[in-house]
Amino acid sequence: MDMLINPTVVELSRLQFALTALYHFLFVPLTLGLTFILATMETVYVVTGKQIYKEMTQFWGKLFAINFALGVATGLTMEFEFGTNWSMYSHFVGDIFGTPLAIEGLMAFFMESTFVGVMFFGWDRMSPKAHLVVTYLVALGSNLSALWILIANGFMQDPRGGTFDPNTMRMQFTSFVGLIFNPDAQAKFVHTSIAGFVTGSMFVMAVSAYYLLTKKRRDIALRSFRLAAIFGVISTVGVITLGDALGYIDAHAQPTKLAAMEAIWETNPHTVSASWNLIAFPSRTEQKNVFEIGIPYVLTPLLTHSEDTVIPGIKNLEQDAKPHIENGIKAMIALKAYNADHNDTAALATFKQYEKDMGYGFLAKEFAPDQDLAKVNASNLPSVLDKTAKATIPNVWVEFWAFRLMVAAGFFMLVLFAFAAYYSLKNEIEKHPLFLKIALWSVPLPWIACEFGWITAENGRQPWTVYGWLPTFVSASSHSVSYMIFSLIGFVLLYSTFIAAELYLMFKYARLGPQESHHHGEEPAAGGGMAGKPAFAKSSMNRS
Amino acid sequence: MKGLLTFITGFVILAFALFLAVITGDYGPWYFAWLVGTTMIVLISASGAAMFDRQDEELNQKGISSR
Amino acid sequence: MDAYVFLKVLWWLLLGVLLMGLAIMVGMDMGVGALMRFVGKTDGERREALNIVGPHWDGNQVWFILGGGAIFAAFPSLYATSFSVFYIVMILLLFSMIMRPVAFEYRSKVPTEKWRNTWDWVFLISGALPMIIYGAAIGNILEGVGFHFGWDGQYYQTESFIWYLLNPFAILCGVLALTMAIYQGSAMLMIRGVDPIYSRAKKIGSVAGVLSAILFVVGGIWISAKTGYVLHDADPSMPANISAAQNVTREAGAWLNNYHSAPILWIVPLIGILAMLAGSFAMRAQKAGLAWWLGAISWISILGTVGISMFPFLMPSSDNPAQSITVWNGTGSQYNLIWMTIFTAIFVPTILAYTTWCFNVMRGKVKAPAASDDHAY
Repeated sequence: MDMLINPTVVELSRLQFALTALYHFLFVPLTLGLTFILATMETVYVVTGKQIYKEMTQFWGKLFAINFALGVATGLTMEFEFGTNWSMYSHFVGDIFGTPLAIEGLMAFFMESTFVGVMFFGWDRMSPKAHLVVTYLVALGSNLSALWILIANGFMQDPRGGTFDPNTMRMQFTSFVGLIFNPDAQAKFVHTSIAGFVTGSMFVMAVSAYYLLTKKRRDIALRSFRLAAIFGVISTVGVITLGDALGYIDAHAQPTKLAAMEAIWETNPHTVSASWNLIAFPSRTEQKNVFEIGIPYVLTPLLTHSEDTVIPGIKNLEQDAKPHIENGIKAMIALKAYNADHNDTAALATFKQYEKDMGYGFLAKEFAPDQDLAKVNASNLPSVLDKTAKATIPNVWVEFWAFRLMVAAGFFMLVLFAFAAYYSLKNEIEKHPLFLKIALWSVPLPWIACEFGWITAENGRQPWTVYGWLPTFVSASSHSVSYMIFSLIGFVLLYSTFIAAELYLMFKYARLGPQESHHHGEEPAAGGGMAGKPAFAKSSMNRS
Repeated sequence: MKGLLTFITGFVILAFALFLAVITGDYGPWYFAWLVGTTMIVLISASGAAMFDRQDEELNQKGISSR
Repeated sequence: MDAYVFLKVLWWLLLGVLLMGLAIMVGMDMGVGALMRFVGKTDGERREALNIVGPHWDGNQVWFILGGGAIFAAFPSLYATSFSVFYIVMILLLFSMIMRPVAFEYRSKVPTEKWRNTWDWVFLISGALPMIIYGAAIGNILEGVGFHFGWDGQYYQTESFIWYLLNPFAILCGVLALTMAIYQGSAMLMIRGVDPIYSRAKKIGSVAGVLSAILFVVGGIWISAKTGYVLHDADPSMPANISAAQNVTREAGAWLNNYHSAPILWIVPLIGILAMLAGSFAMRAQKAGLAWWLGAISWISILGTVGISMFPFLMPSSDNPAQSITVWNGTGSQYNLIWMTIFTAIFVPTILAYTTWCFNVMRGKVKAPAASDDHAY
């Protein structure tokens, strides 16, 4: 008999994965962006030969190192957790999903871990040009890492490049090109990578603003501020463009996510005048927004880039799901019959007919009598359909507000960077101490945007781990609650210690600032100790 | 000889870049956009920083040091 | 031979190479971590011990991460099942793998005795525990693991966590892994260390080598009496479906079947026993480099012995032997394995090329770690 995984265990597994992923994602965006900013600074150094840019690269590199080590350490957790907590998921899609993860290790992670050591300790061991190439390889490596991870994630959002095989009872890899050129993966990679650029820019700009306010090393601060402001303003435009593209792609691949993001309950046939919700308080039980402020004429062109594309509302999407659910139930029953007897060609034919909807069959299991789809009959079917249809919609409240917070932070940063670039280009930034203070205190914004962006993407994917194919509650491992409590407590203790140490070091070295040296030509004083030397930075060192 | 080698290396890199551009341009418009966009962001902000030094020198000539 | 069968066997061999490489290299670092408190009596001596593996431990750890990804892709069902079925153990392994870098980074940053002593305990635990776990997991797999699959591929687990740790055979395997790690770590300490670390490592290492040989022999005799698994009417080219039933029986002493059918294979465990004993003598004779290589050969032989005796099983199920994970049903699809092979063939040489370049660039000029050197541990 098919048992469902204990729902508490599923929720705890989700909680643990979300906590560890969000935590990991605190370190990733800064790595993605700061590496390219370091490469840019060093490019100026190599092209102009001005020592100050070398000093800048080394100083920001030191702060980067503190961040890099934890990004790597917490990434290991993610690699473990698919296996330890999402066993059905790993088994079901590992043939496709595992491959980009393995390639990430081979192609990107190894490259970045190896060259990062040379980047920190190899300044005097090679020509400036060779060192610049190394810095670019670190930047490229960390972004390639993001690329392969997001190709894997793209498969969860819009499964392409593989299909279900009833003979192996899992999804199998069929097209490498389909997997890596998945539009969702493409747009999401660019969006995430450039969000990293924004994070890096904001970090450099805010810390530079602090030095300008406290009159520390103006030479470094003014130049870093200029570079970060320009880097930031273009990147923010990019991140917003790509966010829009991602919304457009989701409109086709994941209509439920889009409807939840915008809290659209009813389909509005008047596409031109349909209004876009600026603020809404969605209520799941009442299936409407209990309060909303909308802007008419904005919705359709904003989301679909057209005047006449109808955007289906949540209620419609639920109705649309019902035939899929009905087919999915048939598919699962046929699949079970085929699985019991591989000579049952009739069952196989039935399964093939409804194959595309099998995920909805999985989803219906939760609401079938005794969790047995075979017991769904004409009398209880409508209630199973109703309940399952409602379960196809993600949490609207979370989705709506996570999305809005991300967007609000993005637009605020765009304005901030625009002013920063303007003041900096006019060389009058120091005449605006209030602006510098705002720039300093805005430093958490990119992290807030990134974390809420992750929530938007992954909460909006619910109830699926693989959209349309595998529901989350089926994906989990069948652990006991005590196992989960044990690991959760462990993670909380360990990760809190880590973040305390990281913040302590980050504040210490950021406050300390670059060493004071009034002569541009002078070498910086030994880098002030590599306290934040990354754990993986020295694999290439030989200290015999 | 060394010049020829540099030329060949440069040519191979160029050919590879073109090949990459054609492939990504065809199959992966957004990947292509990332390649172009990132290069652009790096170059523009680098020249913005270089411009800072010019402005700085101009101000120095006028006798007002900004640094 | 069918291309798919070839790929399955190829990836089984690669899995073996990966496990051997990890056991030798990561095991060596962990051995040093576990030994640090014993070979180093003063803080200076302990730092010396740490800096002996200092330049390489993190590179070894990168291979470990790479290995995890490769198992996920090439053996999805094995990855999914083994990581879940050994949940607590895997989580502990994970914690020690992320604690160790922190211990390396922070231990020498604060000069108080209490601080450093605390981290020395972390080294001991995060070195010894994962090795015991590694060995015990292999021991448990040899005995068969309590899991089965639903018709849809969902995995179910029936045994409790305590059972795994309290089972004597698994403990024996865990201790063997630990003594081997200590042996390998001692060899490394001898290669790069000076007295008094050198002579302490020599003493501990040569005992660990003999102990490993004894434990290995005892384990071998024990396993010959234990119940093994036999796969009948194997279809190596079958689609990799773990929930489909295979014809598996449990028979006493079956883990020796492969040796009985090809007696030449006895040479594998034999080489291991000889290598362990010879390694101990090499240590006594102050030939540390030779001892290190004999240790590596011992690990290859130990894991090779297990691999041969289990083939084609990867993780037998004691719950429902018919659903045991084997080389034939546990791999990825043919298409996936082809791509994995292509990427491995391209990138492993590339990685070796640029890591060699980095080694050469950074070689030589680094001074010996002084107390004030921030680059040292």
